[in-house]
Amino acid sequence: MIGASQLALTDPLPRAGSAANFAELEELYHLHGARLKSIAFHITGNRQDAEDAVQETFLKLHRALHGFQGQSSIGTWLCRIVINVCYDIARHRRREAAAPPDGPAPNQQIPLRVALGDALGRIHPKHRMVFLLFEVEGLRHSEIAAILEIPEGTSKAWLFEAKKELKRLLTETRP
Amino acid sequence: MIFQCQDLDRALALPELMPDARAHARDCARCAGQLFLWGEISRLAPALHQEWESPALWPRIQAALAADSPPCAAARRPIPIRRWALAAAAVLTLALALSNPWRSAPRDRQFLTQDALREVQQSEAAYSRSIDRLSALAGPSIEESPTALAALYREKLLVLDSAIADLKQNVEGNRYNVYLQGQLASLYREKQRTLREWMENANRN
Repeated sequence: MIGASQLALTDPLPRAGSAANFAELEELYHLHGARLKSIAFHITGNRQDAEDAVQETFLKLHRALHGFQGQSSIGTWLCRIVINVCYDIARHRRREAAAPPDGPAPNQQIPLRVALGDALGRIHPKHRMVFLLFEVEGLRHSEIAAILEIPEGTSKAWLFEAKKELKRLLTETRP
Repeated sequence: MIFQCQDLDRALALPELMPDARAHARDCARCAGQLFLWGEISRLAPALHQEWESPALWPRIQAALAADSPPCAAARRPIPIRRWALAAAAVLTLALALSNPWRSAPRDRQFLTQDALREVQQSEAAYSRSIDRLSALAGPSIEESPTALAALYREKLLVLDSAIADLKQNVEGNRYNVYLQGQLASLYREKQRTLREWMENANRN
């Protein structure tokens, strides 16, 4: 797991022009790429789409930096972009695929960790996102609030709801 | 408080109720299972973080960024209005100076002496050498730069070169004309100033 302290979410965003430099973007990629890939994987469901989303995120970052005034932090901004890109990809994939979004209930014999992963895909998307950012990626509620543009209290409430839903789903499949 | 099974969800939200919930769970297998599951969800969640090697991803992003970038970032930079105004003023002054019939007529009648002409020609040669040196230094960067500012300077220098060539032709036929010699000198000065300005601008950037 990546700890919150490693995420450098509070790093100030480099000014437009200087960050347009590829070397600086590469540094940002090495600093944030792993987390972005993981978040993207959980939304899109596969590595190829996750990598495509990370690529698109950096393109959007590069284009947007010219007008950026430095009012946010780079980590917050990257997370927000990757989440939006992933939702676009996921919407596109849903249109392509005929399969329903909810799969079958997880098998009762599978390990709890795998069952948790399956259950995570079945809870409310907003709650899932907060759970993913807080419990899986180790972000703080203040950071999640900035990324999702919600109050910190809402982030805490959605996390609780996420865990309640997960507990219910895991109880149903693992009595 | 007498803790009951239906209080469990409330206890999970309120840490102060947790001691009661744990005490209740000692005698209630169902609630014990729920409490265990609650803890396990947070304990196992970090393991859901996905990490894999993608050595080709950054090179791919870099290629996409390069393809997405304009040829030169400086080309997008807006040219300060002051520069446009200066260039326009220079061209206008030049045009007026070359086409003003009221001033040129009386001055045509002023003639240089042989000594004065020699001095003028020496000054012209000095200017010419100075400009050649400046052109050698500034020329390549003006020619190669893709920026709109460089295009403006190229255009201005073309106008000046063309005016200098015309005036030199006129001077050849009337070498003692003070006004024409003065105009030629002012064009040389303008070209020198333009080249210096470009070099200062290039050094600043």
